[in-house]
Amino acid sequence: MSGRSLNISRFLTVRAAIVAVLLLVVAVLPLFVTGTDARYVLKVLTFVGINVLIVTGLALLFGYAGQVSLGHAAFYGLGAYASAYVTATLGMPWFVGLAAAIAVTALGGLALAVPSLRLRGHYLAMATLGFGEIMRIVFVEASSITGGPDGFSGIPLPSLGSFVFATPQSIYWLVWGVAALAIMISYNIVSGRPGRSMRALHGSELGAMASGVDLVGLKVRVFVISAVFAGVAGSLYAATVGFVSPSTFTFHFSVVLVAMAVLGGTRSLAGPAAAAILLTLVSFPDIVLPGLSRDILAVVQDWEVDIYALVIILVVLFLPEGIAGAGRRVLGLLRRGVVEPSGSDSGTGQRGDEA
Amino acid sequence: MISSTGLFQGRHGKTVDTPELLQFALAGLKNGSIYALVALGFTIVYASTGVLNFAQGEFVMLGGMLSVWAYSTLGLPLPLAGLLGVLLTGLVGVIFELLAIRPRKDGDPLALIIITVGGSMLLSSLARHLFGPTEKALPRFSEGSVNIFGASLERQSLWIFGIAAVAVVLLTFMYSYTRLGKAMRACAIDRNAARLVGIEPRMMVTLSFGLAAILGGLAGLATTPLTQTAFNVGPSFGVKGFAAAILGGLGNPFAAVLGGLTLGLLESMSVAFISSTYKDAISLIILLLVLFVRPQGLFGGSSRQKV
Repeated sequence: MSGRSLNISRFLTVRAAIVAVLLLVVAVLPLFVTGTDARYVLKVLTFVGINVLIVTGLALLFGYAGQVSLGHAAFYGLGAYASAYVTATLGMPWFVGLAAAIAVTALGGLALAVPSLRLRGHYLAMATLGFGEIMRIVFVEASSITGGPDGFSGIPLPSLGSFVFATPQSIYWLVWGVAALAIMISYNIVSGRPGRSMRALHGSELGAMASGVDLVGLKVRVFVISAVFAGVAGSLYAATVGFVSPSTFTFHFSVVLVAMAVLGGTRSLAGPAAAAILLTLVSFPDIVLPGLSRDILAVVQDWEVDIYALVIILVVLFLPEGIAGAGRRVLGLLRRGVVEPSGSDSGTGQRGDEA
Repeated sequence: MISSTGLFQGRHGKTVDTPELLQFALAGLKNGSIYALVALGFTIVYASTGVLNFAQGEFVMLGGMLSVWAYSTLGLPLPLAGLLGVLLTGLVGVIFELLAIRPRKDGDPLALIIITVGGSMLLSSLARHLFGPTEKALPRFSEGSVNIFGASLERQSLWIFGIAAVAVVLLTFMYSYTRLGKAMRACAIDRNAARLVGIEPRMMVTLSFGLAAILGGLAGLATTPLTQTAFNVGPSFGVKGFAAAILGGLGNPFAAVLGGLTLGLLESMSVAFISSTYKDAISLIILLLVLFVRPQGLFGGSSRQKV
């Protein structure tokens, strides 16, 4: 029916408009952050962007390939230390550090994914947990490269050519620009052939394999991409903060990242990004509610871990589709209301692949 | 230390004589017994649910913390405090299953694994709120040490061997001779067939969590007098117990025990011959190697995965 396809294309324009508005909001936000604590607010918002970048990779892995990583903090750290070593110790430009972070995390991801994804079940989860702990020990013990438990300081700011990202605004734009790029790359992956294959293996691994999907190859590629995203985030983190220490790249942080991906929901990129924003801000409630008393702030920070843990358990139990599922429901209602006033039920036929 | 014959030459020019080697071996077996108890917990839950319980290490933490609480705060005598600590840990395991595992009715393994990860974080954080962030200790069950062929062994280590051995014997007896044990085994083999003969699989899953928690709690109780405990020790016990279970072959209780003892020995020998810096990395590297090279474990039968 041509009328219906017209409606769908109109719906797609609505979605494109939503994305455009969101991009605009993210882009101009720093212009509205003023006042005495502007530096702090921008720093937090930059952290949010870094977490969005990592969680986008995890969303591919968890939401599309059906695997969970308990070691992404290690890839984040690997990227951070690789970049720090190349830029601070070897004195190379930031771009080379970024390339090193990508190379190291891609290799690490490959080395971990190829053997463990050949196995059925969820051995990848344990393998990544083991890898994460090994890396944490290496970050502490290999002190001639990493600076040991005291950390690695004096990492130069990110730069491209002669331009140095020195102001908080420029760093914010750099990080969010990279995050947007990662989401775009991921959107291309999930809306193309690999995405269709991944949706197929979500339905039935056996069926997907019978239809000629290279299951292992696909999962390995997704894992390597997610590791590289974390590595890029690590390089950005090291350069913007100027200091890295092993206490950042813990099992605990890996679980927080998983919480974000789980809360975001499966088969979605927008959901996990929203969850990353939301859960990162849990650690900084004073950004959302300025003037929050120090006592309340202390209580929230004391119960932060419990909040993350409860989010994980409650979402998996009672909201298995996460934010994305809720968003889909809202969009479905919108679609029926806006483009199908007749109120037919065909809106449900399209569900499941909203980005 | 008197012997300079250098029977065993380690790297870094480390020379290890026989009593010293025995000393390392006993320390390895002691740690290995703890790993074996944790590995048994993994095995029991895996058999009944097909899920790796990432909260298993927290049961070790709770066993120690709750015993310390019963001993220092309630003022109970040590044996009673230990008993209470272990039983309460078992109760936590049962409650955890009822509240967090059972409501997810489809039993999707990925979902359950993520829940246990969340549960692990929640349990350790609640322990920090309840008992504080500091390290806690228990007195040893008996003081002093015994001499075994020139190596000295703390009496507490004998308790650890004993507790692990009794737990294994009781578990074997239960699985082989009691109705409950047979019902649990039947469920592990085929849930639907078990239901047909009147066994309630949900009940068995709950019990398996309780049993796994008790085993973890025993490990925590036995090791706390030597190593102390704190709210954040869980994950490291969990990883090592899992490494032991995988090393032996997941799903087989005897393999879990052998895996635990082997892992303990490998770990302490690596300290003796290589270096103590990377002691904690050794078990993780072994875990990854076994996963990659021989995922069915050293002592597991060949269980080729069917598609």
